[in-house]
Amino acid sequence: MKNRSFLKALFAIMLVLMLALTACSKESSKPADSGKTEQKGEEKEEGKNEEKAENKDGLYSIEDFNNVKTNEGEAIEGGNFTFGLVSDTPFEGTLNFNFYSGDPDFQVLQWFDEGLLTWDANYVYTNDGAATYETSEDGKTFTFKIKDNVNWHDGKPVTAEDWAFAFEVIGDPKYDGVRYGSDFSNIVGMEDYHNGKADKISGIEVVDEKTLKMTFIESTPSLLTGSIWTYPLAKHIFGDMPVDKISSSKEVREKPIGFGPFKVDSIVPGESVVLSRNDDYWRGKPKLDSVTVKVINPNVVVQALEKGEVDTVSSFPVDQYPANAEMSNVEFLGTIDRAYTYIGFKLGTWDKEKKAVKTDPNAKMADPKLRQAMWHAVDNNAVGDKFYHGLRWNATTLIPPSHPEFHDATNEGRKYDPETAKKLLDEAGFKDVDGDGMREDKNGKPLVINFASMSGGDTAEPLAQYYIQAWKAVGLNVQLLDGRLQEFNTFYDRVGQTGDDDPAVDIYQGAWGVGIDVDPRGLYGQDALFNFTRYSSAENDALLADGVSEKAFDVDYRKEVYKKWQQFMVDEVPVFPTLYRAVVVPVNKRVQNYAIGDGTGIYLGDIALTQKEELPAK
Amino acid sequence: MWKFTVRRIFVMIPQVILLSVIIFILAKMMPGDALSGLIDPNIDPATIEAKREALGLNNPWYVQYWDWIKNAVQGDLGQSFQFKMPVSEIIGQRLTNTFWLALLTLIITYLIAIPLGITSGRFNDTWGDRLITGYTYVGFGMPLFIFALVMLWIFGFKLGWFPSGGSVKPGLDPGSFEYIVSKFKHMLLPALSAALIATVGTVQYLRSEIIDIKQKDFIQTARAKGASESRVYNRHILRNSLLPIAAFFGYEITGLIGGSIFIENIFSYPGIGQLFLGSINIRDYTVVTSCVLLFGIAAILGSLLSDIILSIVDPRIRIK
Repeated sequence: MKNRSFLKALFAIMLVLMLALTACSKESSKPADSGKTEQKGEEKEEGKNEEKAENKDGLYSIEDFNNVKTNEGEAIEGGNFTFGLVSDTPFEGTLNFNFYSGDPDFQVLQWFDEGLLTWDANYVYTNDGAATYETSEDGKTFTFKIKDNVNWHDGKPVTAEDWAFAFEVIGDPKYDGVRYGSDFSNIVGMEDYHNGKADKISGIEVVDEKTLKMTFIESTPSLLTGSIWTYPLAKHIFGDMPVDKISSSKEVREKPIGFGPFKVDSIVPGESVVLSRNDDYWRGKPKLDSVTVKVINPNVVVQALEKGEVDTVSSFPVDQYPANAEMSNVEFLGTIDRAYTYIGFKLGTWDKEKKAVKTDPNAKMADPKLRQAMWHAVDNNAVGDKFYHGLRWNATTLIPPSHPEFHDATNEGRKYDPETAKKLLDEAGFKDVDGDGMREDKNGKPLVINFASMSGGDTAEPLAQYYIQAWKAVGLNVQLLDGRLQEFNTFYDRVGQTGDDDPAVDIYQGAWGVGIDVDPRGLYGQDALFNFTRYSSAENDALLADGVSEKAFDVDYRKEVYKKWQQFMVDEVPVFPTLYRAVVVPVNKRVQNYAIGDGTGIYLGDIALTQKEELPAK
Repeated sequence: MWKFTVRRIFVMIPQVILLSVIIFILAKMMPGDALSGLIDPNIDPATIEAKREALGLNNPWYVQYWDWIKNAVQGDLGQSFQFKMPVSEIIGQRLTNTFWLALLTLIITYLIAIPLGITSGRFNDTWGDRLITGYTYVGFGMPLFIFALVMLWIFGFKLGWFPSGGSVKPGLDPGSFEYIVSKFKHMLLPALSAALIATVGTVQYLRSEIIDIKQKDFIQTARAKGASESRVYNRHILRNSLLPIAAFFGYEITGLIGGSIFIENIFSYPGIGQLFLGSINIRDYTVVTSCVLLFGIAAILGSLLSDIILSIVDPRIRIK
């Protein structure tokens, strides 16, 4: 009997331990990737084999990559193409452009629906898409004509009415998506409609079945680069539904509709979608018979590619590239990411009343020379080579080279030069008064700069430490905020995503994915909440406003403005860019006509295969 | 018996309420919310703020809790921000997957545990027993997530015997024979991986029970009466040693529903565990709190079930 009670006790202890274990493990198994899509902050594409980077031959350069797949062999008719949607969570299943918010849904959507306008390599709308457009003299009125052969998957034509309906739904106060914003309120009458003062949007006029006229309050060149909502919403299906019920309806989640190259056949919620060819596609019948989109876990991307189980993937972890560069059954495509990493200096606070930046001239980091010196003190080329095998590299200006038209390649930013850094600090009066090797501030008081950096990935810590050492080498005492890295949500809360900036943060390392429109007002404007540095100046405002003025419709003028702005930011340094990034995507060798990036003129309907069978690695 | 069950259920109610309050507060204490992932220059911050206000995320926690619990009591768990559909629906979808996976795991666990436990208990201190206990020690020492990854790598990728992710092959008709076979195939590897680890506790327990019981007086009596060795084992020892295992059944179910987190994430199996982790990451509070509530209720129900089974199979135990 004694034995039994002992066993029971043991058992109870085991149970408790098991519970404790599960409790801990729930916490620790949280992946580094927090599932955020647009926010580029989480450093997930980290270099693991640093010793490889020591070897100069282990370095790669984005210039050696092509963004269009080379076609080998003869294409066959039909076949099934498998697209690996890399995600550690299932896709949400809000399968309509007007309602989706997560990138995984976008990866599914692109196969069966598309926008009415397409854009070229400079992100300017072209007339090659499903609709063409004309602009009035004053640039405020746009007339769109939807091509006659553009039909929904159920055979009904895509009409101007459908397009106008999309605006009515997004502008509706009950709309539960995230798309409503300045792009919409810039349409004449939209604000009134949004606030319930009007039942119609006066600036949107359906001229005839296929013609739509849109009038904007302000004309800006941004209108031509992504500021027009181009996704119609099928009115014959959604017209009678209450607006707040659309996103959860069967027609969005189970039997979604579009007018793209493929039609949805079946959906396993969160896991996979099978699509078949849309013979009535307006660009002509697609070459493939069917497409399978399925979610694959980031841990198994490489294996799935080697097996030929997927033909390509939505994203590939750059840190795994060096080990797999020689994979025999794929070709790696590469392009420059529309993103940059940067270090920002806190220069003020957010005024919630005025909804504007309040720059503090007495901020700790207020001296431009201090900021310039801190840029000169870090060697970002070394960072790119050592941590990212050259797949990230030194950034020079705040308009990344993914916008080739506006990126000023002649501007070199501030080069790594510790001597200049020291000189600048001496000039500004940051001198080592007490002889401890560290500089004091202008008044001779100790200067400690608190550095906020995000956790996630293996290199987050060494990278932050590298910067701290580089600054120490020029005599600046920089400390990690709280002595540790910050978790994603905490980081952005403290940096100021809700406007409550934490005064303890002096400098921070963040990253931005930039939109296709080059206009940087959303990140550096005076009224931008995401202007986390809280920097503002009259000249900055003037330049930013000039970049979207009517004069800026002239591309050369706009280039000139942004060239000036890039130089202005190099002089003022409210933030300095550290790294530009490459996107690398493997594509199976049996695939033809596949491209990544913008304005390639290659569309998903063009994809063809050279053999029906999967092609595994040898 | 009924009185006992009813009383247990009454005791359960404050437990669940307390659990839900704690979970809610903890969820709110996490930095960020469902909208903080939308730091994107293409989305207007004013829109985000308006959404935050509309979702009531700016209210104090007790107001939010009251709003939530008020609806939860009426069976409305709210709307998932991420999935834009009712939480009960999304949990329903995932729970079906988890339920089948858990059931299969349970079956495999007992299929392994009972023969191994019996062999090892009956022939204790032989080489066979040492082999089996050796396996259980390895099983105890091996973390599930490592073991599952190794299994996935060997059987999913190297040998290619099993699919490496998902719950069903894309494009099959739900309900068709092929669909069911495909579902089963997708479940087999995760279930096997979980069972091979989960079973070791049961094996050990069964072994020591058998060793314990076979030295009892009544067994000596049975032998003295001339019962054959197989009769002694099957009729007398086994039935007695299975009692605690039957009683443990309820806990086992709880463990499988809550413990699906590793397995589901490694095998990209869209069940409740994966939903739970994903929702924590994006701060989809309504889903997180509902999941935890579900886990909590499962745990409480599991222990209730165990108690009931115990009182049925073992008349010596009287519950007052």
